[in-house]
Amino acid sequence: MTLFHFINCAALTFGPHAVYYKATPLSEYDTAGTCIKAAIVYLGTTLIKLVCLATFLEVSENDSFNLSQELLKALIGFLDVAGLYFALTQLTYRNISQNHKFQAVGLGWAFADALLHRLAPLWVGARGLEFTWEYLLQGVESNANLVLTISLAALGSLLWLRKSKPSTVVPIIYASAAIVATMPSITSYLRRGLAWDFSKVVMFELSASLLMAFVTWRLFSACQRPSL
Amino acid sequence: MAIETKTKYKNMAILFSSIIAAVALVALVVGVVVADAAAVVEVYRMIQYDLRGVPLGSRRAAMNHHASSNLAVPGSDLSRTVIILPIAEANITMLNEYLQSKRLLGGLLLLFPHDYGSPTDSDSEGDGDDNYAVVRKHIAEVEQWLIHNNLPYPVYFAYEDENLINILKEVVVNDAAGRPATAMTGGYKLVIPVADAKKLPPPTITNIQGWLPGLRAEGDNSVLPTIAIVASYDTFGAAPALSVGSDNSGSGVTALLELARLFSRLYANPKTRGPYNLLFGLTAGGPYNYNGTHKWLRNFDQRIRESMEYALCLNTIGSSSNQLWLHVSKPPDNVFIKQIHSEFVDVAEGLDLSVELRHKKINISNPRVAWEHEQFSRQRITAATLSQLETAPELFQHTGGISDSRRMVNETTVVQNIKLVAESLARHIYKQQGKQIEVFAEGSSLAVNPAYVRAWLDLLSRTPRVAPFLGKNAPIVSAFYKELAEHTMDVSYHHDTLDSTFVFYDLTKAQLSVHQVASVTFDLFVMLAVGVYLGLLFLILLVTTKGFDDLIGALRRPPSRKVKST
Repeated sequence: MTLFHFINCAALTFGPHAVYYKATPLSEYDTAGTCIKAAIVYLGTTLIKLVCLATFLEVSENDSFNLSQELLKALIGFLDVAGLYFALTQLTYRNISQNHKFQAVGLGWAFADALLHRLAPLWVGARGLEFTWEYLLQGVESNANLVLTISLAALGSLLWLRKSKPSTVVPIIYASAAIVATMPSITSYLRRGLAWDFSKVVMFELSASLLMAFVTWRLFSACQRPSL
Repeated sequence: MAIETKTKYKNMAILFSSIIAAVALVALVVGVVVADAAAVVEVYRMIQYDLRGVPLGSRRAAMNHHASSNLAVPGSDLSRTVIILPIAEANITMLNEYLQSKRLLGGLLLLFPHDYGSPTDSDSEGDGDDNYAVVRKHIAEVEQWLIHNNLPYPVYFAYEDENLINILKEVVVNDAAGRPATAMTGGYKLVIPVADAKKLPPPTITNIQGWLPGLRAEGDNSVLPTIAIVASYDTFGAAPALSVGSDNSGSGVTALLELARLFSRLYANPKTRGPYNLLFGLTAGGPYNYNGTHKWLRNFDQRIRESMEYALCLNTIGSSSNQLWLHVSKPPDNVFIKQIHSEFVDVAEGLDLSVELRHKKINISNPRVAWEHEQFSRQRITAATLSQLETAPELFQHTGGISDSRRMVNETTVVQNIKLVAESLARHIYKQQGKQIEVFAEGSSLAVNPAYVRAWLDLLSRTPRVAPFLGKNAPIVSAFYKELAEHTMDVSYHHDTLDSTFVFYDLTKAQLSVHQVASVTFDLFVMLAVGVYLGLLFLILLVTTKGFDDLIGALRRPPSRKVKST
C-alpha cells in the first residue's frame, strides 16, 4: 500500500498547481507558455543561487542556527525576487493581461519549485514501508508555497508593472513583499533556531501564506479601483 | 593574468557548487534511507539443522509480517503475524500446543533482557542473582523446546533496548484493546529481507593438542606414562551467534589452559619435571557426541594410546557450587578409578569441596555419548570427567547455548576447581598420595592466577563457538593454539570433518527493520481527503475567478465550457 501513499502525497503536492491552472482563466488564455518560461527562469535563478550559496556560505558541520550565515542565506534568497522581476518584466509574452501574467508566472515558479524540491524525496521516501506524516505535511507545505509565490508575484506585478498606484499603499506593498520574500528564512529560523516541529512549521507557513494572500488581495483590489 | 585567475575562481566555484549539490543529494538519499525504519535491530537467527535427515530448528529465515504480543489475540491472522515475546515470559506449553495443532505462525521474535549475558557487577549480587537463576532456568527450558522441534516459521532473538520495549508496549496496548495489527488497521511491521538459509558443507572440526614431556629417570628405558587433560571447547545452542557457553565449555577450556600454564612452570625446571608426559587436548564437536574427541583418538599412535595412564576430562566446572562429580564408565571398585577418586577427595577436603563418584555404563550400540570420557573408554583408555553436572546430559543439553552466560560462572569457583585438579594431579605425578602437601599455594609463584582465569572466561563468554560456523581458521581456535604453544610443546592442529548425521544451515545474524505502517483504511481516508480538498479548491477558484473576471470585465467564457471543465 505504499505506492498508494505515494500517489496520495503526490496528489496533495502537485494537484493544487494543476487545479489552479484548470480552474482559473489561465487555462482559457493558454498561458502554459508563460508558466514554462517562468519555470525556466526559476531553474536559472536556482542555479545562480546554488553557485552563490556554495561560494559564500561555509559548510556547517552541525545543523545549528547561525545568524550571520542565515542572514547571508536570506540575502541570497532575495535572488528569487530578482528572478521574479526578470520573469515579470523582462520576458515578452504573447498577448497576456497583467492579471494573468503574474498568476501564470507565480504558478510556473511554484510548480518548478515543487518539482525540484519535493519529487525526489517523495519518490524515495513515501514509497518506503515506514509511515510518517512527513510527506503529507510536505504536500501541505507545497500548497502554502504556491499561495506565497503567487502572492509575491502579485505584489511584484503591482510594484513593477502597474504605473498608477495610490501612493498610500506603496509602502505597504513594499513591506508585504519583503515579508513574503523573507518567508523561507523565517521558516528556516523557526525550524532550526527554535527547533519547532515540522508539523508546527507547516501550520505556521500555511496560516502565514493565507494571511499574506489576503493582504495581497486587499492591496490588489486597492490598486485596481482607480483604474476602474 | 587577472582575468585568468578570475575565470579560475569561477571554475572553482562551479566545481565546488556541483560537489556541494552532489553531497547534498547523497546526504538526502542516505538520510531518507536511514530514517526509513522506526528501529533497526541486530537479530540472531535460530539454529536450523538436520539430525539424521530429520529437519529440526527454525526452517525459515525471511520475515515480513505485522507484530503481535501473544498467541491469543482475537481477530488477528497469526499466519501473517510475528509474535514478540520477552523470552523470560515465553510460555512453552502454549507455544507447543500451537505448534502441535499445526497452525501457521508468521514468526517468533524472542527478546533477551538488555543486560543478559553481561558479567555480574559486584554491586547487584544476592537477590538479583536468584532471580537471574530462575530466568536462566526458564531460558534453558525454552531453548530445549526450540532445539528439539521442527518450527516451520522464522525464529529470531534480539536484546531488548528502549526502542524495542516501547514498540512492544504499544503492541501490547493495541492487542489488549482488540486492535491487532493487520493490513486493515496498520501497526508495526517486522521485516527481515533475507533469502532462505542454505545447507552448509560438512563442517571442519579442529582439535588442538600440546605436550609437556616428562623426565625419564636415568638408565630407565621404558616409555613414560601419559596423563591427558582434555576439554571440549565448542558449543551448541538455539542461537548459534549467541552460544558463547561460559560454563560449558568456557570453564573447562579456561581450566585446561591454566593447568597447562601451571605445569609448564613445573616442567620447565628439570628438578621438578615429573616422570609423566602431560597431554593437553582441546577438542571440538563436544555437543555432537564428542565427535571431535572420537576422531582425535582414532588417529592416535598406538604407542601413545598404550602409554596413556588415564585421561581427565573437564566439563562445566564454573557455577557456584561446592559439589563436583567424577563421572566414570568403569565400575567404581576398579583400583585405578578408586585411586584417582581418592586423590581428588584428599585435596577437595582441604578446599572445602566435595567430589563424588558417579558410574554410568556405556552402551556401545547407542550412538549417544553423554560424557567426553566415554570416547576414551570406548578406546579402552581409563578416563573420567570432572563436572558439576550430576546426571548425564541428553543430546544438546548443557552444550553452552543461550542459557549459559557469563553471569552464572563464578571465577572463584573456577579458580578453586583448577586448584583441586592441579593439586591432585601433582600428587599423582610426584607420588605424594595421602600427604598434605600444597604445590600451588596461594601467594607462591605457582598459584592459580585469577586474572588469567578471568581474562579467558571473559574472552570465551564473548565468542560464540558453534563448530559449523567457526571455520578452520577461526580467531578463537588460533588463540587456543597460540596459548598452548606458549606453555607446551609439539602443539598441533588436528582437522577432521564432523559426523554427517548433523547437517547445518547458514544465516546466523540479520538486520530487523521495524516499520510503522499505515493501514489501507488510512490510505483510503487520505485519498478521500485529498480528493475533497482538490475538488473544493477547484470550485472555490472557479467561483472566485469568475468574480475576478467580472471585475476586470473579461468574462468571455460561454457557460457551456464552464460546465465541461467542471
